[in-house]
Amino acid sequence: MRISDLIKMGLRNLSRRKARTALTVIGVVIGTISIVVMVSIGIGMNTNFTSQVMEQGSLTTVTVERIANIMDDEGNYINSKEQDNKYIVFGSDTLLDFYNPTSRNYTTKSIDLTKDKVTFQFNPYEYVVNERKKPFSLKLTNYGIMEKVDNWEYDYSCYMDIDYFRTLYKKYANTLNAEDRKKALSAIENYERIKITVAMFLEPMQETSNMLQMVLGGIGAIAMLVSAINIANTMIMSIYERTKEIGIMKVLGCVITDIKKLFLFEAGMIGLIGGIIGIGLSYLASFAINKFGQPLFQALLSTNYMYNMENTKFSIIPFWLPFVAAGFAFLVGVLSGYYPANRATKISAIEAMKTDS
Amino acid sequence: MQNQNNTIIQVKNVKKIYRMGSEKIYAVDDVSFDIQKGEFCCLLGTSGSGKSTLLNLMAGIEKLSGGQIIIKGQKIHKMSENSLARFRQRYLGFVFQSYNLMNSMTALENVEFPLVFKRVRTKKRRALSKDMLKQVGLENRMNHKPKEMSGGQQQRVGIARAFVAKPEIVFADEPTGNLDTKTAMEVLKLIRNIAKENNQTIVMVTHDKRVAQFADKVINILDGKIQSIEKIENVESIENKEKIETTESIEVLETKLS
Repeated sequence: MRISDLIKMGLRNLSRRKARTALTVIGVVIGTISIVVMVSIGIGMNTNFTSQVMEQGSLTTVTVERIANIMDDEGNYINSKEQDNKYIVFGSDTLLDFYNPTSRNYTTKSIDLTKDKVTFQFNPYEYVVNERKKPFSLKLTNYGIMEKVDNWEYDYSCYMDIDYFRTLYKKYANTLNAEDRKKALSAIENYERIKITVAMFLEPMQETSNMLQMVLGGIGAIAMLVSAINIANTMIMSIYERTKEIGIMKVLGCVITDIKKLFLFEAGMIGLIGGIIGIGLSYLASFAINKFGQPLFQALLSTNYMYNMENTKFSIIPFWLPFVAAGFAFLVGVLSGYYPANRATKISAIEAMKTDS
Repeated sequence: MQNQNNTIIQVKNVKKIYRMGSEKIYAVDDVSFDIQKGEFCCLLGTSGSGKSTLLNLMAGIEKLSGGQIIIKGQKIHKMSENSLARFRQRYLGFVFQSYNLMNSMTALENVEFPLVFKRVRTKKRRALSKDMLKQVGLENRMNHKPKEMSGGQQQRVGIARAFVAKPEIVFADEPTGNLDTKTAMEVLKLIRNIAKENNQTIVMVTHDKRVAQFADKVINILDGKIQSIEKIENVESIENKEKIETTESIEVLETKLS
């Protein structure tokens, strides 16, 4: 048989039983939608996590220029000053909420960094402070205060050069007991080895999103499995109905591989048609999710991850997904048609022709 | 065996045994005969005599229990299913008692069907099929489906389908079994005429002696064994006799056909 004849015959056979073909196709459509949408949500999450972490990465770096320009209030250049690494950058909210320790009613006290000293202290629960030594305090020469941003994460911390921190730390370790001094010094040696990278944040998030993708993909796969069984059932029914035809075809000289191909093609077409329709509907579904799915996702995810909810896409369909999905749907069709097609080839021509249809 | 080269089908000691539980049933029991090229051979027997089984064996639809069947020098019983299918495409045509047309297809598509398997191009096979349908007198019925036609018309479509690929051998299993006598005679004449025109060999199975008289050679079969082989020498005279018996209206139809 020519390929063109095979295709013509297959399509005709499918259109002969429109209702049944349509129902089977709907099964595949649902399967495809569930897979595409689930995968797209998984990809959307992954992208969101990544971009979120990337944003964080850019915010974990504070650029301090070695030569700073000094401006007056109107923004005119007055002088410039070269500075070393001895500076501290304060988060916008770190300087609030100080209060006078001698006052009884905890009145807040505003701080003047030009006059006040910064006192460093070890965590008293971890280290025992040698009472005889004076606590370590420092007069600030170079400092900066960050502007307040929406992201509260950075407003309550201070930032400084890590080498500067180390020198201060080592100096201050003298105020500890001899034992604790060793402990503290070894702690900072170990601290050296900790590297803060974007991947550190990203990895657990990606693990979560991979898990989520697998769970979501699994849901889609189940829907697809059901539709595969559905296709197989349809094809078996169709073979029962067409037993006589198959017999006639065999007697007229149709090679069994052609019969097999015909049924595989029909099953594959059910898969492909369902896949294509499913992909089309998936785009709609994806659009709807991005537009209206915000409350749902907020409820699901806000406890774990900070989402910038306003303009996030929850469902992203990358360009390769429709092709993969269509191919997959076709493959599912062909695979589930394999058993029925094999069955069709085994039908005995005489028996088949004796059956009524 | 003076014209060995002309022998197209050889049946040698063919056996077909069905098992019904522990009992063996000899449907075809040690049958041997030859059929010459261009011959109209008829297997005549009562129902259950094994004649249809024999035909199916010759067509390679059923497997032999013993013996040999050689068609055009090829051992049918030893062929694989695919090579048998190709062999059928090339050399064999079939006419059935119950027509066995594809109900979803029009007459024209039904006639085209064997050519589809033969990988003939659409245009060519359409032309061939139209010619064939004209030959059987159905040029007005090409786009009708089998259900919209009478039994005689359906069988003509069947005949057109059997002959369209110009096979050397056509097997006919009770081609007139479902038809009334009048139509049966028309159909038989049609088969005979087309076959004689192209020197095609016909192997027909029937239980009807009147039908058998259209053949050149009649093989009588009873209980799976050959009773007698008779050659009908003067076919034309019988045909003339038949003509006298049939009514005038058929003669009118026949002139239309030819």
